[in-house]
Amino acid sequence: MPLLDVDDLTTYFHTRDGVVRAVDGVSFNLERGETLGIVGESGSGKSVTCYSLMRLIPEPPGRIERGTAMFDGRDLLQMSPKELRKVRGDKISMIFQDPMTSLNPYLRISTQLIEALQMHRDIDSKAALNKAIEALEEVGIPGASKRVFSYPHEFSGGMRQRVMIAMALITEPDLLIADEPTTALDVTVQAQIMEIIKQRQNDLGTAVILVTHDLGVVAGSCDKVLVMYGGREMESGSADQIFYRPRHPYTRALQKTIPSLQEKGQELFTIPGLPPDVSKPIHGCAFHPRCPYPKIGSPEGERPQLEDIEPGHCWAACGFCDSSAPIETVLAKADDHVAEPVDGDA
Amino acid sequence: MNALIGNPQEDFLVLDEVKTHFDMGTTLLTRESKGVVKAVDGVSLTINKGEILGLVGESGCGKSTLSRTIMQLLRPTSGHIWLKGRELSAISDADIRSERINFQMIFQDPYASLNPRMTVLDTLGEAVRTRHPELKGDALRGRVAELLRTVGMNPFQMKRYPHEFSGGQRQRVAIARALAPEPELIIADEPVSALDVSIQSQILNLLKRLTRELGLTMIFISHDLSVVRYISDRIAVMYLGKIIELGDAEAIVDHPLHIYTKALMSAIPEPDPNAERNRHRIVLEGDPPSPMSPPDGCKFWPRSPVEHSEELKTVEPPLVEMQPGHWVSNCPFCVGTDHQA
Repeated sequence: MPLLDVDDLTTYFHTRDGVVRAVDGVSFNLERGETLGIVGESGSGKSVTCYSLMRLIPEPPGRIERGTAMFDGRDLLQMSPKELRKVRGDKISMIFQDPMTSLNPYLRISTQLIEALQMHRDIDSKAALNKAIEALEEVGIPGASKRVFSYPHEFSGGMRQRVMIAMALITEPDLLIADEPTTALDVTVQAQIMEIIKQRQNDLGTAVILVTHDLGVVAGSCDKVLVMYGGREMESGSADQIFYRPRHPYTRALQKTIPSLQEKGQELFTIPGLPPDVSKPIHGCAFHPRCPYPKIGSPEGERPQLEDIEPGHCWAACGFCDSSAPIETVLAKADDHVAEPVDGDA
Repeated sequence: MNALIGNPQEDFLVLDEVKTHFDMGTTLLTRESKGVVKAVDGVSLTINKGEILGLVGESGCGKSTLSRTIMQLLRPTSGHIWLKGRELSAISDADIRSERINFQMIFQDPYASLNPRMTVLDTLGEAVRTRHPELKGDALRGRVAELLRTVGMNPFQMKRYPHEFSGGQRQRVAIARALAPEPELIIADEPVSALDVSIQSQILNLLKRLTRELGLTMIFISHDLSVVRYISDRIAVMYLGKIIELGDAEAIVDHPLHIYTKALMSAIPEPDPNAERNRHRIVLEGDPPSPMSPPDGCKFWPRSPVEHSEELKTVEPPLVEMQPGHWVSNCPFCVGTDHQA
């Protein structure tokens, strides 16, 4: 039995301007100790997926419409607030993008580190403090026994993110959800932080969901990858399958548009147009308006169903275009596209 | 004279030992100095016409301060800046505004850099009129339409407000505004880092094409070496307010000399799982030191994996031309040793 088994997770926001289909039928599972990367652009629903699992969606306007998320045999989406409080911060922890705003500036690090321990474990404050110091040492904060009494502003951005990791892992959770943990950091610090997450994951056997828009970060640390677009799953599989045998036009196009150190091309490939507006119903394939492949058949129609290509590798099998050819043959290389206003953009 | 500094009368843009320091003031009661932040601490550089110079470094290395100093939004504490033979740093505050039509800037966040109460026509029209005050009515609209087409937008969008556009389109408007006064130099400060990955490549291609077609010169600032490598002819790597390596983009990326450049490069994650698995990273210790109290000597010694000698912890190594056009801060412990990247 997988540690986490999410099926048909659907979260909508009912706003005055209509229904925003932020997450629209996403399924995935995760074994103990595994790392799943959720990749997508802003608005693709990757963060809302995580917040839904943690039940941190503001309700209203948000609502988890349907789906199940079996965690260790119990459905997270059906738990009472009381049961949830027992799971959050104990079995499942989360790190956020911005360590600046996720630490309380008025409290010492020690207070904030110990809180989760005292909440979930029967432990006296002295033992908890020792545990906190140990946790800081494990994420590489020098002089931890002194630094534990510091305030958040006394740490740099990278150090604060280390504190966040220490805090998230102090209860040795089964699952760590990291929402863009390195996006606000410099590349050099990003490398350090990813190294620490990996190392702590190995020590504790924690499963990790890593949300990011950076395919490079995914390649470096994930076993499995879920590619999201317009609130939907476009493709999922092992890292090797997604990077070396991508099937969905969006996955292929995304990989081609990133400037790489290795490639020496003069012009970058581009995907024309804009990401979809999820406050409007999407008919058929979400990527259709931007898809560079030759169209066959009408875009109005059934939503593409997920189809297995090989074990563990599936894609939203879109029949509206002929995507058999390699992406290079169809992606526009030379000209900069006129950004035509997509419906509803204005 | 240092060969890094060209001939101010002939070369396009020349920076001579530019320093921009921020005085933190004094404490309230004891009147002790709180110190000086040496954000830019002696940068010399010559940029040729038509060139794209990439400026990379971690946050706090002074790259944005340097760009604002060139723009004369901040006045240098010392040193000189010449643009086409005119010494910008000597022009009075009152006259610098009219001079600025020759050099324009594109900012990181197109949500913050456009006035939400002005339509695209107002924003671009105002910028056009800084160069051509006589233009109005249809002539002005015609010029704005032309600008929008240049940046790949539809002229009928000119009556719209910034909130009606996506981030990528707003950045196009911001680029059009920078082009409107027909400048010769454009400074782009992280112009794509706030954009989605699929939009980034559109904007990068646009910037590169415009620079070539309009014969512009550009300073492109970013913390992302792979983006900088794509767009730049030459790359300057900054660390703690100084340039520590400078050379052709290919040379910097393929054959970096300074260990810091190598570390920056090795920190960039590649979208290739096998390459990532077999990768040997130079992981730097800690964060860059504070520019308020930078280390003496080689600026990099506190973070370097190679132990420095006492001499290099006190005496700063000079910038030396190791190969034609390839300059590096010549510290024997940072350069030349076998650091596996």
